[in-house]
Amino acid sequence: MTIEFIWQLPTSGDSRYGNADKLRRGERTSAEHPYSPGVTDPRGTSFNYLDHLHEIARASELAGFDGIRIPEDAEGDDPWILAGYISRGTRHLKILTEFEASWGSAVYAAKNAVSFQRFTGGRFAWQIKTGGDAQQRRTQGDFVKDSDVHQRIEEFVTVARGVLTQSPYSFKGRFFEVLNGGFQGPLGGQVVPPVYLSGNTEADLSLSASVADIHIFDAVTVAKLKEQIASLKSKTDDTKRKVAIGLRLDIIARETEQEAFRDATRYRNQTRQTGSVDALEEHLWGGLTTHVTGANVTLIGSYQQVSAALIAYAEAGVTSFLLSATPHFEEAYRIGEHVLPLVHEHLQPQQRRAA
Amino acid sequence: MTIDIFWRIPTHGEPSSHRSKTPHRGDWFPGNDRLRERGLVGSDEGEFNYIDYLAEIAHAAEISGFQGGLIPSFPMTDEPWIISAALARETETFRFMIPFQPGFLNPVTAARMTATLQRATGGRALYNVITGGGGPAQLWWGDSTGHDDRYGRTTEFLDILQGLWKGEPFSYQGKFYQVDNARLAEALSKEDYPEIYFSGSSDAALASASKHANYYLSWLEPFDQLRQKFDRVKEKTHLLGRKIKCAVRVDIVARPTEEEAWDEVRLGFEALSKEAIQNFGRGDGGDSAGAARQWGNRPETINSYKDLIFEPNVWSGFNLLRGGQTNGIVGSYEQVAERLDQLVQLGADAFILASTPHLEEAYRVGEEVLPLVRGSTSAPALRAVG
Repeated sequence: MTIEFIWQLPTSGDSRYGNADKLRRGERTSAEHPYSPGVTDPRGTSFNYLDHLHEIARASELAGFDGIRIPEDAEGDDPWILAGYISRGTRHLKILTEFEASWGSAVYAAKNAVSFQRFTGGRFAWQIKTGGDAQQRRTQGDFVKDSDVHQRIEEFVTVARGVLTQSPYSFKGRFFEVLNGGFQGPLGGQVVPPVYLSGNTEADLSLSASVADIHIFDAVTVAKLKEQIASLKSKTDDTKRKVAIGLRLDIIARETEQEAFRDATRYRNQTRQTGSVDALEEHLWGGLTTHVTGANVTLIGSYQQVSAALIAYAEAGVTSFLLSATPHFEEAYRIGEHVLPLVHEHLQPQQRRAA
Repeated sequence: MTIDIFWRIPTHGEPSSHRSKTPHRGDWFPGNDRLRERGLVGSDEGEFNYIDYLAEIAHAAEISGFQGGLIPSFPMTDEPWIISAALARETETFRFMIPFQPGFLNPVTAARMTATLQRATGGRALYNVITGGGGPAQLWWGDSTGHDDRYGRTTEFLDILQGLWKGEPFSYQGKFYQVDNARLAEALSKEDYPEIYFSGSSDAALASASKHANYYLSWLEPFDQLRQKFDRVKEKTHLLGRKIKCAVRVDIVARPTEEEAWDEVRLGFEALSKEAIQNFGRGDGGDSAGAARQWGNRPETINSYKDLIFEPNVWSGFNLLRGGQTNGIVGSYEQVAERLDQLVQLGADAFILASTPHLEEAYRVGEEVLPLVRGSTSAPALRAVG
């Protein structure tokens, strides 16, 4: 099993400092000239934040990532359109697009996925999230009950896979239906987007055991992660399916451990987080960058320490790493240049033996 | 007031001429291996593929002076949202006209998709709102809602979209959609609201169009019939205190002489099988009023391409040559321009033109026909000589 490293597009803005508002690089927020009157600014309104997002996507590909995740964020730009927008500027990158099952019709999602796969050589992947609480869902035009959220995702994936792999395909469920659907000719037989799901509840794990290709856990200690993988495994034994393991984490990696902790501490102070650090272990802090990147846990250390930690996760069974760090553009290069090579160096001989 | 002229993007492949189905660009036609490696078909090797050809057409259309293009969506086509997003960075003025059925998307999702597409293109996205043809095709899409309800749903969808676009928290209680304090992020709500071209010929459609559409879009119909249709929609809209414009979606075959233009059609017609001609206009079991109006003009027997001419320079057999709507204009450059001007006189404010192959014909029509169209100005147009 090869290991994939997936970077992230900060769809609602990015920041360098813990105390800074999110910034949409390249985008003018007002007509105000941002420089002093004595300095010219050639940009005008030629650029907006999407130009920068496009550059992050290219950076992650150039730096050696295998994919990029486009998170759904009510304050941010739309992941499906961004996925199309970066598709022709990238060559190999898997484009992991996040959305909720309230997106719309499962057939229409599958139909759009077909064109996407045709144009990108099958690089489109789906992360379907359960979303927030009932009140948040209603702000998204979604009035489904809490108890139906998982079943709707299951139907969505079932119908989408059905029309992508069979023709004619019919299904009538509680949320989606289709009669004699499916794609013909060149639209048929396209790569089914791999489905990434996440979460720690019983319902999350059961859903993944039924329909996920990859289940994503938040980073925890290796020992705890092994327990979580085991409980997913007990469910996939029942469903007789294989579900790969993904891990979501942020990284603060620097030349030395000292620099990494200095930067982590400074960032934390800037965010005005008070009290003692919420540390799962010395190098694993909770809540540090969640407000910017969405990751609940940050791995902190020297390049060697961070790589060793990623290797330990890989050895525990993780095959997809969903990484981010701020600012996303610069850190894509840093991690691509300093961390990923160390991990690959260690894991590749093993992968070769396994092959 | 001036008129807008759009082109069309062939999302279902296309032959290299009206005369013959081969060689066929795009991978919908089997046995096209010679074109495969050049990107006119789909490549299996991750090199060029059909989107590269569509990018060429979008460039050709913008260089030739078209506003942009309609990007049709049917069960056998590629999808316009993805095409538009993919081509956003490599076009400058091309406006992406996206047909979609509101029933297939959550309106909050659609608002965010649209705003992001506006940000990606500098405001070049617009809608062609369609409400579906019913019948088996509608169930193929996974939609079992009845005809008039579909239009009710379309109206609600556009109510919400418009409400969200104001950038303030917005709530709505409809029969088909509800939202509770939905809001479009500030950076997104600053974008221009998309212009809406609306398709639909029934009374339910006109009711919905008159509330939300900027342009009422019709296929080409016999000119008198079209005039009545446009008058009716303008009247309905006027009652609501709104103004609506009208647009015509029409194929054209334009050549230096009328004879050459009809030869093109004749050769295409003569290459057809008897069965194809027999089955022409038999319908698909849907509930589309527009389709019924189109096929209503079909003659009992068809012995020659001439039997399908229902007024000067108008031929109703285009569906035989390339699928889709069936009425189009055939003639010399001057004649085609004159017919378009006649349509302007009877109420058209915009056109979506198309001709096969879309790439080369974008240049021909842009160079030879568009300069002859007077549009709605009263100033005399410069006529090309010879």
